[in-house]
Amino acid sequence: MRDLYDRLTMAFPLGELTEQRPDLAFVTVPREQLRSLLLHLRDQEGFTHLVLLTAVDWLEEGHFQLTYLMNNRRACRDLGVRVMLARDPASMESIHDLWPTAATYQRELREMFGIDFPGSPRVDEDFILEGWIRTPPYRRDFDTLKFSDEVFAPRPGRASSDPAEFMKQQLYPDKT
Amino acid sequence: MSLSDVLSPFSAWKNLFRDPVTIPDPLNDRPGAPRYRGFHQNDVDKCIGCGTCEAICQNAAIDMVAVAEIATKQGDSGLRPRIDYGRCCWCALCVDVCMTSSLSMSNEYKWVDHDPDAFCFIPGVDLKHWDSAELGYRRPEGHRLTGTERVPMGELEPEARADSFVEIVAGYDIEQAKLEADRCVSCGLCVATCPTHMAVPEYIATIRDGDYEQGVRLLYQTNPFSNVCGRVCTHRCETSCAARHEGDAIAIRWLKRHIIDQVPHDRIKQIAAEGRVSEPSRHQVAIIGAGPAGLTAAFDLAKAGHGVTVFEALPAPGGMMRYGIPEYRLPYDKLDEDVDVIRSMGVEIRCNTQVGKDVSIDQLREQHDTVLLAIGLHQGRSTRIPGSEHQDVVSAVELLRRITFGERFDVPTTVAVIGGGNVAMDIARSLARMQRQQHGQVGVTLVALEAEDLMLADREEIDEAREEGVVILPSRGPRRCLIERDAVAGLETVHCVSVFDDQGRFAPNYDDSDIQIHDAGLIVEAIGQAADHALLGESLTEALEWERNRIRIDADGRTSESWLWAAGDAVQGPDVITAVAAGHRIAASMMEAFAGTSAQTH
Repeated sequence: MRDLYDRLTMAFPLGELTEQRPDLAFVTVPREQLRSLLLHLRDQEGFTHLVLLTAVDWLEEGHFQLTYLMNNRRACRDLGVRVMLARDPASMESIHDLWPTAATYQRELREMFGIDFPGSPRVDEDFILEGWIRTPPYRRDFDTLKFSDEVFAPRPGRASSDPAEFMKQQLYPDKT
Repeated sequence: MSLSDVLSPFSAWKNLFRDPVTIPDPLNDRPGAPRYRGFHQNDVDKCIGCGTCEAICQNAAIDMVAVAEIATKQGDSGLRPRIDYGRCCWCALCVDVCMTSSLSMSNEYKWVDHDPDAFCFIPGVDLKHWDSAELGYRRPEGHRLTGTERVPMGELEPEARADSFVEIVAGYDIEQAKLEADRCVSCGLCVATCPTHMAVPEYIATIRDGDYEQGVRLLYQTNPFSNVCGRVCTHRCETSCAARHEGDAIAIRWLKRHIIDQVPHDRIKQIAAEGRVSEPSRHQVAIIGAGPAGLTAAFDLAKAGHGVTVFEALPAPGGMMRYGIPEYRLPYDKLDEDVDVIRSMGVEIRCNTQVGKDVSIDQLREQHDTVLLAIGLHQGRSTRIPGSEHQDVVSAVELLRRITFGERFDVPTTVAVIGGGNVAMDIARSLARMQRQQHGQVGVTLVALEAEDLMLADREEIDEAREEGVVILPSRGPRRCLIERDAVAGLETVHCVSVFDDQGRFAPNYDDSDIQIHDAGLIVEAIGQAADHALLGESLTEALEWERNRIRIDADGRTSESWLWAAGDAVQGPDVITAVAAGHRIAASMMEAFAGTSAQTH
């Protein structure tokens, strides 16, 4: 992978190379260079297949990380290209014209993370969460407990005891 | 058209004789993957009801509920998790965090019921057919959300400490303490085990938050001896710690010490005084003995506005904390700080004042509304073996007292210590230090009746004593002190086969064929202590109810005399923290007795 990285850095301002396995590595690229890098990888370096497109919510740092996982079938190796986006408002250029399958991933990311991909086919249509109007659920500030409380009625009769309090009642109830 | 084109369709027919790849009965015959996160299993005997699963659950799917057949006991709340499958999202964080690995998930995932309440169940208690499933999600090896190893404590190396009384333990710095505090899951199982029920999870949380003043505030709610207990507490809380099941218990004692070490003494005084009743004292209380029991009661009573006078026979307050515990474990200035806070509450401590000699107990009774007897155990017991009446056969408590007095006495080059408890270790290690100072080498032999693994002293005391050069011989009973030309020359011991009989009574069994003689110019007996009740006088001794050789007290610490309470080692051992707990109880009981009565006018 180091050979590939050395070639790429001549043309692209890449971050450090993270080699996870001999056949899997990651690089970070500024969003402005993503499209040209993907094209270069596809047309010059044999990374013809988009394996997946996914996101990570770095809530504390205030950004999303997109990972475009590219596969070179002949060389049997994968390169993950990472892009950091501002978290709010989160928007990214679409690549559906490079790989039509990207539209599906982008529609999923729109729904689960609230990241917009203007121009991507059907990007605003419901993907699997029909009629979802809340914070996108894969955002880390989505409060699962609040959601559960609002959506699922608590079962009657549920009650819990604090272990330390319960032990006091059982073992030394009189003492202050 | 070739021949193969004609025959190839028939080659598919060979599959007729193979097993089908489809599942014949897909509704019933389709097990989950080996590590599938299916329905929960809980080994309820392993579970300690710490509630960490409930705390981590993102959807509040878990309740901790009482279970009829499981009793609450030390280290086990008796509660067990009940899971609401209307809420569970199968994330398995409850399994990952479980402190005992009792909770897991089977690979079973099909459950149909018409009653929605059936899906709220207590795994392991409400029996299910997947309870014994072998497959399913278990926490992977090495995958732990809480740290398993205690942050090591800095200690002086044996070479650096063996000839000095400088404190051995360094105490955690802020970074170390935060790391250690981070391991605590705040379950609170330890609180019941602490005799005075300190707010352990809450004060540990103040370390994480860096709010040490709040930490001190919490410590003082239950314990005015945090400098002392942060160093020498028997820390039984740590035996109930949830972390000890799959790792080291949280260093609760060291964290307590860390809090008190961080806040300046004057600020501690201000915090301890918060909530102090400022009206002039109403009732007058006399307390005999300035040890942990007496001074804790004094602190509570004075803080509540009562007049408290403590009568102490020895030159300085602290009792066994000063005159028993060696300085290398508890520096005197740290004890002084705790006592100073108590004094600042308005407690008067009269040292060098022996009740029964300088003032009579009848006088105390006349001049005060109530009296607390907290005299401790300051008389050493003797083995009464032949030769033990010689003047160079002495008790450990007496010798420890003389060391605290600062007496410079000559320690012979060889010493024998009889006893295997912490007091024996204290005197052996103290004399070893003095020998090293005076002679440049150690010659202390300690003989204990118990076998190595049954010795009463803390393991670290035994190990550290050995590191400092003390020779410890377990399973040896003392037979006689050898006296040559009026001087102690040695101790004769015999192999002890067993200490207790079948009924658990103390009845040592010796092997007379195995006798050893240990050179000793001084023999120290450390086999237990007794209280000196002479101060009571004859009529009070007669009037009081006794339980063997202890004064009988009720749960509040009241004796059979309505004006007299008793607490501490003399009535109820064995340690500082138990005495502190008793002190609080006595103060509460006295104030209850004061309620509705007018104070005596003095």
